[in-house]
Amino acid sequence: MKQPKNILLVDDEEEFLETTSLRLRRRAFDVRTATRWGEAMPEVQSGWPHVVVLDVMLPDVDGMECLARIKAMQRHLPVVMLTGHASLQASVWGLEHGASDYCLKPIELDELVEKIILAYQDVR
Amino acid sequence: MSFVLEQLARFFRRSPKSGPEEVRSAFQDHYRNFRALLTANNNALELMSTAEEMLHSGKPFGMAFVGGDITALTVNVFKMVRSLIALSDGRYKELEDRFKIIADRVEAILSRQPVVAGSAFVLTMEEIDSGAVDQVGAKMANLGELRNRLGIRVPEGFAVTVLAGRHFMEASRITDEINRRLQTLDVEDLQALDRVSDDIQDLIRGAHLPDDLDHLIREHADRLAHDAGDEATVSLRSSAWGEDSRQSSFAGQYRTRLNVPLAAIPETYKDIVAGKYRSQAIVYREQRGYRHQDVLMCVGCLVMVDAVVSGVCYSRPPDDPRSPWLVVHAAPGLGNHIVDGTSAYDLLRIGRESPHAIVAVHLATGESANACLSDVHARELAQLSLRIEQHFGTPQDIEWAVDRDGRLVILQARPSGTLTPTNAGAAPDSASFEAAPILAGGATASRGVASGAVRRVKTQEQALHFPRDAVLVVETPYPEWAVLMNRAAAVVAESGQIATHLATVAREFGVPALFDLPGALSRLEDGQVVTVDATGRRVYQGCVEALLEQATRRPNLMEGSPVHSLLKEALGHITPLHLTEPDSPRFKPAACRTLHDITRFCHEKALAEMLRLGRRLGAKDKSAKQLYVVGLPSQWWVVNVDDGFREGADLSDPFIRIEDIVSEPMLAIWQGINAVHWDGPPPVSLRGFGAIIAQSAMNPQLDPAVRSSLSGRNYFLISRNYCNLSVRLGYHFALAEASFSELLSESYVNFTFQGGAADESRRRRRVHLLADTLRSIDFRVSVKGDSLSARIEKRPIPYLKERLLVLGYLLIHTRQMDMVMHDEARIDRYLEKMRADIAAIRGAAAANSGAENEAAQEHPAG
Repeated sequence: MKQPKNILLVDDEEEFLETTSLRLRRRAFDVRTATRWGEAMPEVQSGWPHVVVLDVMLPDVDGMECLARIKAMQRHLPVVMLTGHASLQASVWGLEHGASDYCLKPIELDELVEKIILAYQDVR
Repeated sequence: MSFVLEQLARFFRRSPKSGPEEVRSAFQDHYRNFRALLTANNNALELMSTAEEMLHSGKPFGMAFVGGDITALTVNVFKMVRSLIALSDGRYKELEDRFKIIADRVEAILSRQPVVAGSAFVLTMEEIDSGAVDQVGAKMANLGELRNRLGIRVPEGFAVTVLAGRHFMEASRITDEINRRLQTLDVEDLQALDRVSDDIQDLIRGAHLPDDLDHLIREHADRLAHDAGDEATVSLRSSAWGEDSRQSSFAGQYRTRLNVPLAAIPETYKDIVAGKYRSQAIVYREQRGYRHQDVLMCVGCLVMVDAVVSGVCYSRPPDDPRSPWLVVHAAPGLGNHIVDGTSAYDLLRIGRESPHAIVAVHLATGESANACLSDVHARELAQLSLRIEQHFGTPQDIEWAVDRDGRLVILQARPSGTLTPTNAGAAPDSASFEAAPILAGGATASRGVASGAVRRVKTQEQALHFPRDAVLVVETPYPEWAVLMNRAAAVVAESGQIATHLATVAREFGVPALFDLPGALSRLEDGQVVTVDATGRRVYQGCVEALLEQATRRPNLMEGSPVHSLLKEALGHITPLHLTEPDSPRFKPAACRTLHDITRFCHEKALAEMLRLGRRLGAKDKSAKQLYVVGLPSQWWVVNVDDGFREGADLSDPFIRIEDIVSEPMLAIWQGINAVHWDGPPPVSLRGFGAIIAQSAMNPQLDPAVRSSLSGRNYFLISRNYCNLSVRLGYHFALAEASFSELLSESYVNFTFQGGAADESRRRRRVHLLADTLRSIDFRVSVKGDSLSARIEKRPIPYLKERLLVLGYLLIHTRQMDMVMHDEARIDRYLEKMRADIAAIRGAAAANSGAENEAAQEHPAG
C-alpha cells in the first residue's frame, strides 16, 4: 500500500501544532504547519500535502469554509478534521463536503496516524 | 441450482458486459467501499459498547466523554451509509434521510440548553423567595425565603441573576472557547486541569461586562451605599444552579469574596463567575455528572455583617441524624475559617427540646468563661435553626453571625448532606477488633472504612502527584483538596471538623474521612499501608480485612445525574436494535429507528451487494464457488471479493479447493472447524429430540426447507485479510467476521449467534455457556435473550488467529450441547471436554506461532 508522506497540519493552537508535528516527524512524516487559512492556502495550492489535518475553528476562516476551499482547489486531497468541537452537525457537514474523517481531540498519535493513512488510501 | 447462484443469476441478466480492465477497476472501487464500511461498522459498534459500559459502570464521566463518543459514533455510522450508497450504486439513498432524522434527534438531546427563568438581571433581597430559585440559585433563594417568609434577619443586598450570568457569557463570546478547552481536557491530569482552569478563569475575568449589566450593578451598589453608608463593604458569593441542593452541595467549590468595596463589585462579580471553573469545581461536576453549561452562576451581593462571633449550626449532626442535639461550631469574628477548616473553634451541643440544654463539647480556649457564644445567643440560634429546619422540611446546615449590636444574622442555610446507611461502614466502636491502632481519636468527618498507602500532602505541587487509591494525609482540610476526592481512598487531617467543606464533599463521595487527629503527619509515613476506620475513629497498620469487610461500596454518584440521564436518553436513539430479521419485509431503511438499526442494515446489505457483485460484473473469479474438500463438494460456499484465491488457481469450474484459498482469517476458522473430529450427533434422548421438533414446527424460520435468504447457506465471503462466515449448522445461525491488518483499527473479530431449536430456557442456557466460553478467551460479550454478540478488536494478528481457531471449533461443537442440555451430568462432562479441546487448540496455536517466529529468525529476509 502507498503511504502518505507530506502532512499539512492546520490548527490555531500553537502548542498542539508543535507537539503533534514533532511526533509525526518521529514517525517519518514530513510536516508543515499553518495557524490560519492564509498560511494554509499556498501550501494547498502548491500541491505539496498528501493529507491535510484540519481544525474546525480557525481565526480567519471558519474550518468548514476552509474545508470547502481546500476541496475546491484540490478535489482529491484527503482532509482529516481534528477538533475539540464535538458537534454532530459539523461532523456530518464535514463528511458531506469531502472530509475523510472527523475526529475529536484528544487523539492518540497511533490513532491519528491510522486515520491519516486510511484517508490517503481511501482516495487512491 | 443453489439459492446463492439463483440470486447471482438474477443480477447476471442485467449486468452490462465490460472489458476486464473496467471490471477490475469497478470491483476495486466496490471492494474499497466495502472495506471502509466494515471498518466504520466495527468502530461504531465499539463506540456503542463503550458508551453502554460507561452508562452502567457507575464510574464518573463528563460531557467530554459523551460528546466525544457519540460524535465519533455518528461519524462512523454516516460513513457506513455513504459507503453503502456508493456500493449499491445509489440504491439505498433514502437511508441518508433516515440517518439525518436520527442524528438530529441525538444532537437535540446533546445540545439542549437549560431554560433560564425570569427577565430580571438583578433582584433585591426583598424580591427573592423560594420561588426565585431558578433565577438566583438555591443559596440566594433560601436566604430570601428566610427574610421574606419567616421574618429572619439576613444581610441586605441583591442577587445578579442566572439570566445576567448568561447574558455576560453570551455577550463576551467565550463559551465556545471554554467548551473547546474542556472537551480536550483530561481531568485525571491535575497539572493540565490547573492550567486549563486558570486559562478559562482568566478569559472570564478579562471579558468585558456588557454595559447594561455594568450600569445595573452599579445602580444597586449605589442603593446599598445610600442605605448602609459609603464605607459599607459587601460579600460576593456564588449561588449556582444545583449548588446547595439536597443531592449535591457543591460545598466550597466556588468562590466567595469578603469585604469588597462597593466600587469593586462589577470586577469582583466576574471573579465569582470565573470561580465556576476552579479546578475542584470542574472535577466535582465531572464526578457528579453535571454538565458545565447547566451550572449557571448567580452571584449574591450582601452587605458585610460586622460580626463579633460567627459559625455553623447543624440542626442535626450529619454523622448522626437521629441525635437529639443540634451541633454548633463558633469562633470569634467573621470569616470562612470554620468551613475552610483553618481555625480553632468552640464546639457546642444544644438540645433540640426546650429549654435547649447547652453542652460545651470542646472549647478553643479550654475555659467555659471564655466561650465565644453566649447562652442566650446559643438558645436563640437553636430556636431559629429548628424553625428553618421545620420550614424547609429537612435537616439544615446554617451559617450564622452575631453582630456588634448583638443581633443574630443568618448568612446561609442549606440542606445538610446526611450520611446514608449504604456508606456508613463499621460500627462506631469496633471493639471486636483487637489489634492496637496507630492513631485513635479525632472527629468522624465522613463515615466508612478504607485501606491504602499513605500519601502526605502539604503543597499544591504534591497534590498534583497524588496517586489513585492512596490515603490522603493533610494538616488542614482545605476545600482545595476536594480535587483529590475522586482518587483518595480515605482522608486523615490533623485539624478540622465535620462542618468543613471538605468533610461535606467527602461524605458525598463516600470517602471515609477522619479529622482533628493531631500527630497524623508525623506518625504516618508515605507509602505505609494503613486502614482508616473513620467510623470507629482509628487508624490501623496494614490492610485490616476484618474491618474492610464491613465497609460498603462507594455510592454511585452518576446514576440519575444530569449527564447520566442525558447519555441514557441519547443512547435510546442509538443502541436498541429493532432490525433483527434480514428476511422480514420490515428490514428496510424506513424501519431504521436507531443508529444501531442503520449499522445492521448497512452491514447486511453491503454483504449482499458484494455477493452479487461477481456475477453482476461478469467476473468469474468473483462468483460463488462450492468448496471442494478431500475430493468431495461440501456444504460450504466461498465468494472471493478481492484476493482470497491463490493466484493461478483454476477458476474455470464452479468449485474451489481449500488449497487454492489464501484468506488467512478463513483458513484459521477452517482449521478450527476441523481441529477436533466430530463424531456426529450424540445419541439423542426422546425428550431432547422432542423439544427440538416441537420448536421447529412453531418457527418456520428454523425449517431448513424454507431457506429464503442469503443466510440460508454456509458461505465464506473472503479476501486475503478478510473473512465473513455466515453459517447455519443444525438450527443455529451464526456469523463470524474477521479482518487482519497492520492497522489496529482494521483488526478485529466479531461473532454473533442466535436462534436454534430447543425451548426458550435451554436456548438461554446455551447462549450463556457460549458467552462464558468466549469471555474466557477475552471477547467482549453481550447477551440479549437467546442471542449473543461478541467482539474483540485492535489486537495483533496472531492473537486474533488463535481466537478464530476456537470460534471455528465452537461453531461445530456447540450444537451438540442442545442435545444433552437437559442432562446436567452430561452437560458438565461435555463442557469439560470442550474446555480441554479449546486448551489443546490454543496450545497448538501458540506453539505454531512460536515456531513461525523462530523460522523467521533463522531465515532473515533478503
